[in-house]
This record gives sequence, C-alpha cells and structure tokens, in this order.
Amino acid sequence: MNGSTVSRRQFLLGSAALGVGTFGLSSLPAFAASAGGTLRIGLNITPNKLNPMLTRLNSEYMIAEMLYSGLTTLGHDMTAQPDLATEWTSNEDATEWRFTLRENVVFSNGEKLTSADVVASFNKLLDPETSAPGRRNLGPISGVTADGDHAVVITTESPFGDLPVGLTYPTAKVLPAALIEADFAGFDQTPVGSGPFRLASFKPDQVAVLERNPDYFIAGEPYLDGVEVRTFPDASSAAAALLAGEIDLLNEIQPTDYQRVADAPGIDGLLTPSGRFLDIVMDNSRAPFNDKRVREALSLSLDREAIVELVAEGFGKPGNDSPVNSAYRYYDDAPLKSFDPDKARALLAEAGYPDGLKLELVASVKPGYRSSLAVVIREMARASGFDISVKTMDHPTYLDQVWKKGQFYVGFYNMQPTEGTIFNLLFTSGASWNETKWNNESFDALISEADRTTDTARRTELYAEAQRLMREDVPAIVPCFFDLLGAKAEYVEGYVQHPRGANYALHTVSLSDSAPTRK
Amino acid sequence: MSLGFLLKRLSSLVVTALIVSVIVFGITQLLPANAATMILGEYATEDALATLNARLGLDQPAWVQYWHWFSGVLHGDFGISLRTGQAVGPTILSAFGNSAILALFALLLVSLVSIPLGVLAAAKRGRPADMGVSLLSYLGVSLPEFVLATLLLAWLASPAIGLFPASGYVPFSEDWLRALHHIALPVLTLTIVLTAHVSRMVRSEMVDTLESDFVRAARLRGLSRKRVLYRHALPNSLLPAITVIALDIGYLIGGVIVVEEVFSFPGVGRQLILAIQNRDLPMLQAGALLMAVTYAVANLLADLAYGVLDKRIQFE
Amino acid sequence: MNGFRRTLSALVRTPQGAIGLLLCLLLLALTLFGPELAPRDPEKFHFTARFAAPSAEFPLGTDWYGRDLLSRVLAGSRSTILLALLATFIGTVAGAAIGIVSGFLGGRADEIMMRLNDALMAIPSLLFALLILSVLGSSSINAVVAIGIAFTPGMARIARSVTLQAREFDYVSAAKARGEGTAWIILAELLPNVISPVIVEATIRVAFAVMTLATLSFLGLGAQPPSPEWGLMIAEGRDHMFRSPWPILVPGVAIALVAISFNLLGDGLRDALNPQASS
Repeated sequence: MNGSTVSRRQFLLGSAALGVGTFGLSSLPAFAASAGGTLRIGLNITPNKLNPMLTRLNSEYMIAEMLYSGLTTLGHDMTAQPDLATEWTSNEDATEWRFTLRENVVFSNGEKLTSADVVASFNKLLDPETSAPGRRNLGPISGVTADGDHAVVITTESPFGDLPVGLTYPTAKVLPAALIEADFAGFDQTPVGSGPFRLASFKPDQVAVLERNPDYFIAGEPYLDGVEVRTFPDASSAAAALLAGEIDLLNEIQPTDYQRVADAPGIDGLLTPSGRFLDIVMDNSRAPFNDKRVREALSLSLDREAIVELVAEGFGKPGNDSPVNSAYRYYDDAPLKSFDPDKARALLAEAGYPDGLKLELVASVKPGYRSSLAVVIREMARASGFDISVKTMDHPTYLDQVWKKGQFYVGFYNMQPTEGTIFNLLFTSGASWNETKWNNESFDALISEADRTTDTARRTELYAEAQRLMREDVPAIVPCFFDLLGAKAEYVEGYVQHPRGANYALHTVSLSDSAPTRK
Repeated sequence: MSLGFLLKRLSSLVVTALIVSVIVFGITQLLPANAATMILGEYATEDALATLNARLGLDQPAWVQYWHWFSGVLHGDFGISLRTGQAVGPTILSAFGNSAILALFALLLVSLVSIPLGVLAAAKRGRPADMGVSLLSYLGVSLPEFVLATLLLAWLASPAIGLFPASGYVPFSEDWLRALHHIALPVLTLTIVLTAHVSRMVRSEMVDTLESDFVRAARLRGLSRKRVLYRHALPNSLLPAITVIALDIGYLIGGVIVVEEVFSFPGVGRQLILAIQNRDLPMLQAGALLMAVTYAVANLLADLAYGVLDKRIQFE
Repeated sequence: MNGFRRTLSALVRTPQGAIGLLLCLLLLALTLFGPELAPRDPEKFHFTARFAAPSAEFPLGTDWYGRDLLSRVLAGSRSTILLALLATFIGTVAGAAIGIVSGFLGGRADEIMMRLNDALMAIPSLLFALLILSVLGSSSINAVVAIGIAFTPGMARIARSVTLQAREFDYVSAAKARGEGTAWIILAELLPNVISPVIVEATIRVAFAVMTLATLSFLGLGAQPPSPEWGLMIAEGRDHMFRSPWPILVPGVAIALVAISFNLLGDGLRDALNPQASS
C-alpha cells in the first residue's frame, strides 16, 4: 500500500538473508574479539522452568541454552552443528549413529562430562514419566549406549536421516548422570550444566543473571562477562525499555512496534524470514469440516496478501495452507492461492450450506495476533457466506479446553528444524498434536518414506508431493508466515537472529567499544 | 477511645479477613482449570497428573484443602506459584511494596491537592472558582483510570514528546531519580482520578460545616470570615475528608490494578491479572486476600484516626 | 404520579439535574437508534484508509483496519449503555431485597447477613468483579453479572439503613398491629419509603457500571472482538496508539460523556429528592 515502506522492507529482507548466508555458526565475525561486558536482554515471556528437559517457552530455551549443552546445535541454515559431539557418522541405512564427544567438557559442579552422562540424559528424556516436551520430536530412537568414555551410539527403530538435526531439539540437553539419579527435581532450582554461562541469580518475573563459564569447552568463548535476562510483562514494555537504553537486545518485537523501534537512533532492527506461522485449525473428522468443500471454501475466502498486511503489518509472507515455506530446505514453490469469494460461495452451497454457515472461531489472547487473525478472517469470510463469531480466551483456558480438542481455532507455531519435524508434530495421523485429525494415509506414507530416505533428490520429491497434498486437501488453513522481529543496540555485535526462533548462540555475542560502561 | 473499642474493631477486622479468605478460596476453587495440568503442561501423562494431584493434595475435599492453605497462610506460607514455580509469599510481598509506593505517592498528592481545592470551592460557592472545580471533578470522576492512563501514555510517552517512559519500573534503591520518572505517569493518573473524587466530598462536607450552627454562631460573634473558615470550619471538615480518603482506598486499589496493567508496573494488581490470566490459584488467593485485608486495615486506621482527632478537637 | 412530577420539576431546577436529564435523554435516544444512525458498516475494513484522521469521509477517523470510528462508537453505544443499566438493575434489585429483608428482620438474622455483607464489601468492587469473571469466563453478559454481584453489598447496606429508619414509623407498627403478613409489610409499607434513596444511588451507580464494564473489557474479561464495545476498542487501539490516537480517543471521550451524564443526573436527583442537601 505504501511504496516506501515496501521498498524498505525488501531491503531489510535482502540484508537479513545475506546475513544468514555469510555467518554460519562456525564462522564468526573477526571484529567480535573484544571481550567483556554484560549484555542485557529483554524477554516478554517469563521463563518458569529452569530444568532444561522440561522447558517449553522460547525464554526458557534461551536460559537453558546458556547453561547446558546438547549433542548437536542448530545452524542458521537448519543443519546440525557440533555442540558436545564434534562429529557423527551413521551406518548405510541411517539406523545406527555414532557421536564422538569432546574430551574437555566439565559440568559446573566440577565433574567431567562423559558418555555415561549422555546415556543417562537420553534415557531420562525418553522416559514418558519425565513428561519432557520434545520426547517425540527427536526421532524414532530405540536405544542409546556408551562406546567408551567419549562416544555414544544411538540406534533408531527405522531409518532416520534427520537424527543429528532432531537432536538439536531445545530440551535435548546433557545433565550429570549422578544428579539425574539422585535429585532430578533439584534442576528446577540449581542448574548443573556445561554451557557457556553459569547462573548467578534467578528472580522469576524479574531477572536472571548469568556469568561467564571460565571452563567452557570452546577456548576464548563466551566473549561476554555476563548476561542479564530481564523479563517484561509484555512486548511493548520490553520495546520501551530498549528505546530507553535499559536493555541492549530484544529478540521479540510486535509487528505493530517494529518500525518505530527500528527507526530509533542507535538501534538496529533485526528481521529474519521464518517458518513461524498462524493457522486456522479445523477438525477434519467432524461436520462441517469433514467436507473438503467447506475447508476449500474458507480457504478461497481469504485475501492472503491483505492478511499479511493487517495481521503482521507487512512483516511476513502469505501462506499456501502448508506449514512449509521458503525458510525450509524442501519448500515446494507454488502460485499463491487465489482469493475468490464467488467460488467459495458456490462451494459452500454445493456442500449443503446455500444460506451460509455459522461458526465460532476460538483464539487465545497470546500472542495478540491470534485474535487479530480471527477478526480479519471473520470479516473477509463474510463475503462468501461464512458467519464467524470470534471467541477469545486466556491462554491456560485455551490450552486446557480448546487446543487439540476444539473444532475451529487459531493455532500458532514456531518454525521447526526440518519438514519432518513440523509434519510429524502437527499433520500426520500419528502426530504428537494431531489437532486437525486429517488422518490422510497417502500423506502419512509420504512423510514416513521421507523420514527414512537419505537421498536428497528423492526427499525433495516426497516433500513436494506432501505439500501439494496439503494445498489441495486443506487440512488446515495457513494464511500467514511471520518474520522474526527483534532489535539491538548498535554496539551489540555478533548476534544473528535464528529463523527457528529457539536458538540464540549468545556465547558468540560481544559488545563493541562504543557500548556504555556500567558498574 | 477506649481499649474496648479498639479490641472490638480489631476482632471485627479478623472476622472480616476470615470471611474474605473463605470467599476468595471458594471462588478460586471454582476456576475451570486443574493445577496439575498447569504445572506439567500439555505433555503430561495421566499417571504423572494423578501423582502430582495427590502430592498437591488436590484429590482431597475442599475443606481439607482450605484448612491446609489457611494454616499455611498463618505461618506466612502462601504456597508455590503455579506459573513460576517459586514461593508466592516473597513475590507478592515485593509486588505489594511496589504497589504501596504508587498508592502512597498518590494519597500524598491527593491530600495536598484535593483538600485545598474542596475548601476553595466551598468558600467561593456558586462563583466561577467553584464552577471550575466542579466541572473538573465531574470530568475526573467520569474518566475511568484506564482511559486516562492510556491517553496520558499515548500523549506524554509518545516518540514525539517522550517526556516519560511508557512503562516499566526501576527500584528506588537502584536509582531514585529514574524510579520517580517511572512512577510519574501511574501516580499522575491515580492522583487525578482520586482528587476529583475527594475534592467533591471535601467541598460538600465543607458546605455542610459552613452552614452548621457553631459556624453561624462564630460569625454572629463577629469573627472574620477568614478566621471562621480556617480556624473553625476547616478542622471540622478535615475529619470527614480523612474518612473520605480512607474509604476511597477501595477505589484506589481498583485504580492501582488498572494502572499497573496499563503501565506494566510490577505490583500486586499486575500479579493478580497475571494470576487470573494464567490460572495461578495460589498467587490469585494471596493477592486477593492481601488487597482485601489492606482495604480493611485502611478502614480501621481511618476509624482510629477519626477517634483520636475527634477527641483532640473536643478538648480544644 | 404527582410525586413524580414534583421530583421532575425539582430536578430540572438544579443545573446538574437539567443538564444530566437532557444528556441522559439524548443517550437513551442514542441507545435506541445509535446502531441505525451509523453511516457505515462498523465492521467493514477500508484497506486504503487505515489510521485515517477525521475527514468528511470518516468524521471521527478510522482504526487500524480502516473501520469507521464514528460508526463503531454509535454501534457500540447500545451494548455499552444497556448493559451498564442491566448490571446496575441486577445489583440494585438484589441489594435492595437483601437490605430490606435484613433490616426488617433485625436481630440475629440481620447481624449475620450484615456481617457477611461487610466482608463482601471489604473486597474492592473491581477486584470482586475480576474474581467472579475469572470463574465465569470472559463475555459481556458475564461481566454484567459480575458487576451486578459486585454492586449488591453496597446497595444492601444503603437499603438496610433506610429500612431501619422506616421500620420505626408509625404506619409500619400499625400494619404489624393489624396483623399484616411480612411480605405485605415489606412491599406495601417499606418499599415505597426505601425506594427513592435507592434510585438515587442506582443512578450514580450507572456511571460507575459504564466505567467498570469498560474497564473489564479493557482487561480482556468482557466483550469479545470485533465487538465495538468502547473499553475493548481502547484495549485493541493500545497496540497502535503511537501511530494514531483516534482509535483510543474516540471511545474514551464516549465513555466519559456517558459517565458524566449519569453522574449529573444522579447528583440532580439526590438534590431534588433530598431538599436539605441542596439548599
């Protein structure tokens, strides 16, 4: 709508994409060598759980990533990068993997980290009793055994080429075996890990103070002396704090605040295209959504470009009813679905609703754009005969009563490291959160074959077919992807936003000489 | 004021607190969410949920749970927050301290501004000054805190003006100047709304006093208008003014909840809203109880102050 | 009827009363015809006119979706004012019933009821409404019920104290002596005497109900988007307030206007019904 805004956005998109290409995790900017200082980060979601195996929120992932290490970590290009494991190999059909561990790793309690700790950690993580989020996201792991002190062997039930990437899941951290055995609940209060930082103090809802781990296994890192993670009650107050110079880095800004913050002097806006999306979840097993024509009618009722403008303030991309977009490796490009109210109305009539269809769309109030999307969809779909009323509710009630149970609601998901993860999380019959109950056998077969295939060309075909199936059958409506929006003070160096939104790599961040000195 | 009166008021305070605790506990028991689900989250297994329910005592009858909670409160143990997993007591107390700062600053300013305004209006009854004060106070009492707060925020904290920070909080112990800067807008909001309320009341009390027999008698004795106003009428209207301010503490508490929400100020009101939004029962119970008891104590103090001042005036 | 005309003429003789009555009549008209007066569809998006300032096309500007603010405020007037009246009505009827019965019964029953009532009054009314809503869930109707319940104890106190005075009147004793039933005494003898202070209180409470209802919607516990409820409009407009002040200014002024009108009318009524206070 506004020419200058659009061109500025495209410029930002371009530079962000360039950033992803040039800085991998291993290639650090040379200027980042100056050490010291404390980085102050603002969060708007309180980290609640300190136990790294039980974390669920981005804010908790951030703290866990500073305090603990996993076998692998996720690169900006969504490939597995070394963390505790320096290298890995698999057998021919990708069912048995050997990970070689670093030998210089010590936990913050002084004990050395060995393969026994890795085995104990994975056994704990995979134990259903632990209720660890991500237990089913790692891959079809059937066993973890030690191979000497500094290597582990992981076997899978079926071939799984994505295992090293699967292991980057934020809850897959390595804890000392002795403490898992003796006092697992203690990790809620006292972290013992091998990450780049150590916890100095933690006041929930206020601040977590972390200081440099002098024994970190990568020599010279982290560059910072410490990190203060401050919690703000909402995104706008965190943005206000950045503008007031009270914090240095913000990894989450509302689309409505972004332009204002990014334009402020001394502040760099951070914008990264991502696979984070909002979707309209429909229960495919019950009327009216068990009729494909109804789902298709709703899909045709939406002006997706306008949704990006109204819901994401233009900081995003329209979606094509598949959770995979260009931020993923195996994205299947297709023309944007058309906006055709007349055809939608005809389809609705054909499906037995010539006088329109009355529905209630539920949206949690967190984050705010869930209800914005609901309101926009209500208004857009009015033209094709849908009479949608919006019901908003607080997040816990939503999780308790609607999520995975409701028949028509707004979902919101972060980008996942692989296509397999997102499909197996949400859309296959055996998905952890099979909220659409689509249960499409040919889709299941495609995904399961892709999981087992290591050949890239074949996987490209399989995933393209899966995405085509979703576009055609519309198990859910994915109208809009969001760019990750953040901002930092100009003197913060070496911070690159991760498109997955759950990795931060703060050990590679530094403050330039122009940073204000503080006590 | 006799000891008996004091004891009677104190005991009624305790009874009130007890009844409030039952009501608050009762209401929160009706909330549609299970605490164990809250803690373990969406990944929990049925077994894990049952175990936690048993450990939290949630499988016991309501009165047993109430007794458990109540005896904890008596020992200063308000339970563990379901949202943060930390003890509720210290969290709510530090939030209470922050709210108290807001409330006390507002009360101080209100007393300094509203009593002179009310007196002025009463003394100049029917004249432009009175009309002006009335008009402003009508506006003030008719503007909900959230509207005033949002408008002040959009105006004074906008990027163009940027006179005050839009939200947040800095402890006084860290930097008192910045602390004042951060509480300015919330305190201003509360002060404006409360001043409107209190100055109206002071005016009407003052008008009544000016028409009372003893003021008339003083005027008949030939005392100057000014002297009558300041030496006779004013002290007599101060008492009701104190009562009005004390009664308005209930109103102030409501205002504090809203203002903390608008300015993201980390006080009890904010904790309460967060607790409601997150179904954090122990925090909700503690916050609501704390607010109700504060209100009751403020009323008690007002009564006592009234008693003390009343006696002094009679002695004169 | 005669009493009503006397009250009315006393009412319009006070400046607050006259202005208040006039404004309230206007608001009543707005409530009845407001949604029909709206020049545009209050929910229609105008993509090309987001965040528009007031103009001939959009007299009060538009919001972030380009919806016409004048139409939204007009459309929202009905729900905002009617629901506030309803909430006040619930609180008044329930409170008056409790207060009159308690005052009439006296003794132990009165003591217990008032002790409970005082405990409820010890919960600030916004807090009380929040607690009730957290149980009932967010919706406009639940907010109305919550405000009604939160108003009840205060109303009961006032009704009781008036009842206590009226109980001592000769005609009540006479009715008792005649052996009239309790219900008859309450309805025929007590109620007419209790009603006027209760009505004055109720009128002032309407202003408070409008403000509380809007506050609850603002806190996300009342009306649901995209309803043009005024408090909700401000809550939603907050995200965009640095881009355009109109989406919060317009409903804010509307709320203040309604509250001022009922405050004026209430004050006027109090003076008209209680001549000592006004002279």
